[in-house]
Amino acid sequence: MRTLLSVTGILVALLCAISHAHGQKATEQFIPIGQSPGVSLKVTSIGEIADVNAAARTVTIADPAGRRTVRVTDQTRIWLDRTRIKQSNLSGSFADLRTGRRVEVKYADPARREVAEWVKVEVGE
Amino acid sequence: MPREPRLTPLHPSRVLVAVATLFAVALTVAACISPPDKPPDPQAALVAKGRDLFFNETFGGNGRTCGTCHREERNFTIDAAFIATLPNNDALFVAEFTPALARNFENPRLMRQFGLILENLDGFDDLENRFVMRGVPHVLGLRVSVASPQGPRTGWSGDGAPADGSLRAFATGAVIQHFTKRLDRVAGVDFRLPTEPELDALEAFQLSLGRQQDLALPLALKGTVPKRGQEIFLDNGLGKCNVCHGNAGANLAPGNNANFNTGVEDLPDQPARLTGERVPRDDGFGRPGDGTFNTPPLVEAADTGPFFHNNAIETIEGAVAFYDGQSFNNSPSGRFLASTDPNRIGIRLDGTQVVAVAAFLRVINALENIRQSIELLRVAEGAGFSQHEEAKRALRRAAAETRDSIKVLAGGGLHPEAVAALERALRLTEKAARGALTRDERIREAIAAQEKARAELVAETK
Repeated sequence: MRTLLSVTGILVALLCAISHAHGQKATEQFIPIGQSPGVSLKVTSIGEIADVNAAARTVTIADPAGRRTVRVTDQTRIWLDRTRIKQSNLSGSFADLRTGRRVEVKYADPARREVAEWVKVEVGE
Repeated sequence: MPREPRLTPLHPSRVLVAVATLFAVALTVAACISPPDKPPDPQAALVAKGRDLFFNETFGGNGRTCGTCHREERNFTIDAAFIATLPNNDALFVAEFTPALARNFENPRLMRQFGLILENLDGFDDLENRFVMRGVPHVLGLRVSVASPQGPRTGWSGDGAPADGSLRAFATGAVIQHFTKRLDRVAGVDFRLPTEPELDALEAFQLSLGRQQDLALPLALKGTVPKRGQEIFLDNGLGKCNVCHGNAGANLAPGNNANFNTGVEDLPDQPARLTGERVPRDDGFGRPGDGTFNTPPLVEAADTGPFFHNNAIETIEGAVAFYDGQSFNNSPSGRFLASTDPNRIGIRLDGTQVVAVAAFLRVINALENIRQSIELLRVAEGAGFSQHEEAKRALRRAAAETRDSIKVLAGGGLHPEAVAALERALRLTEKAARGALTRDERIREAIAAQEKARAELVAETK
């Protein structure tokens, strides 16, 4: 019986590990650039888009720390931050990432800072 | 001849002044002989600020507060019976009287009939079709039910918070989802986002609620049926409850709150769906969801129904019986348990066993009610002159906890002697709340009655 319990415990622990936490992103859409609690400027960069490479699907962001190029994947969520013009934030696409626009990028892996989990891009029109 | 002193009649205004002076002196003396107010405690101040925000702050939105759905007098949740007592202009019903929120914000019928709240967990791009209907989880015992090795687990599917996914960030997502004036959800227009200090205070308040540690089972229970229920609960070859709900909490192991697909979404005849209202399948954790939901703690279960993320089952007995049914046993979790069982059985319990496990859950819930009642009574006992309101609030909460313990035990036909002691404790607590003069004496008697009730349920372990 003790063996059964141990096996059950271990396997159930493995089962639960299938669910890797990534947090609920839905309301993130409506949080303006720089205001994401526990995240903004801790695991994000805020700056201007200095360059966009559509072929490689990368954007280069210039922030006070320098320039950093980050990859945008199919899993990356892009939101249009229209808070400044008092309009609803919308889902966006890679085409909305244009040079000169202000962005906040959250990294999928904060240590490596290579791939974007989400990008908020400020649009004023 | 000396003149006799002449007594001049007192003018009525002088009498008034004298009486007022005497009254003021009496008040001052009363204040002086009251125990000194406790020195300020920064953590207590943060919790108090969080409480104020939780119940009073609308964040510039539609009038709702956190307390609109997480009602203190209803164990920080709501159900249909409670909702029926609210006036039609309660902020809970904002979708019924705010034209901008009339569509795709709530489903008033499902809210009123089943206490269900609309959530857009998979995004806001298709409000007409992409939503789920969920009950309101209580926020008790969060100190011991949020942490997991994969990060914090909040809400029914463990992914209820934006940003860093923490309990602290949860309030930000809740404001955006539930407090907005319009579906545009523009920060600074339809609501304001909580500030960093407000998030700190809200988190501190929520973490202060309910249990601060898990139980250590088995308890030395006295009742025959609850005792058997505990054995079944802990038997990993029979009830198997303790596999996921370690010590009747929310964890596989301390600090490991996990998600499972237990097949609740596959239940036939779910009440909300029986109405014919549109209730999309809830895909649980993630976007798109993986079908899993977060394990809730069980100590607080018996007085916080209905049960499961969709309020599908009304009674604690029904909730236990769910694990004997096909929906669970055909689910990934049920199949997994069966794969580890020598007889390939997931969970199989007969009627008496279901009731026994439920009786155990009722008793541990009542024990937690009693623990909280005594704690609250002690807050009120010896409260200083300036803490009168705080004392009254603590007594009201103690009375509410006591009513819960009575309801939970009596509802299962359990421990009539304990119920009688709790009824006495309730009367004394209500008396203490009414009169300040004999308050402490009544409180001490109420604590004694609570302890008597506890002694009926469980043997003290020293």
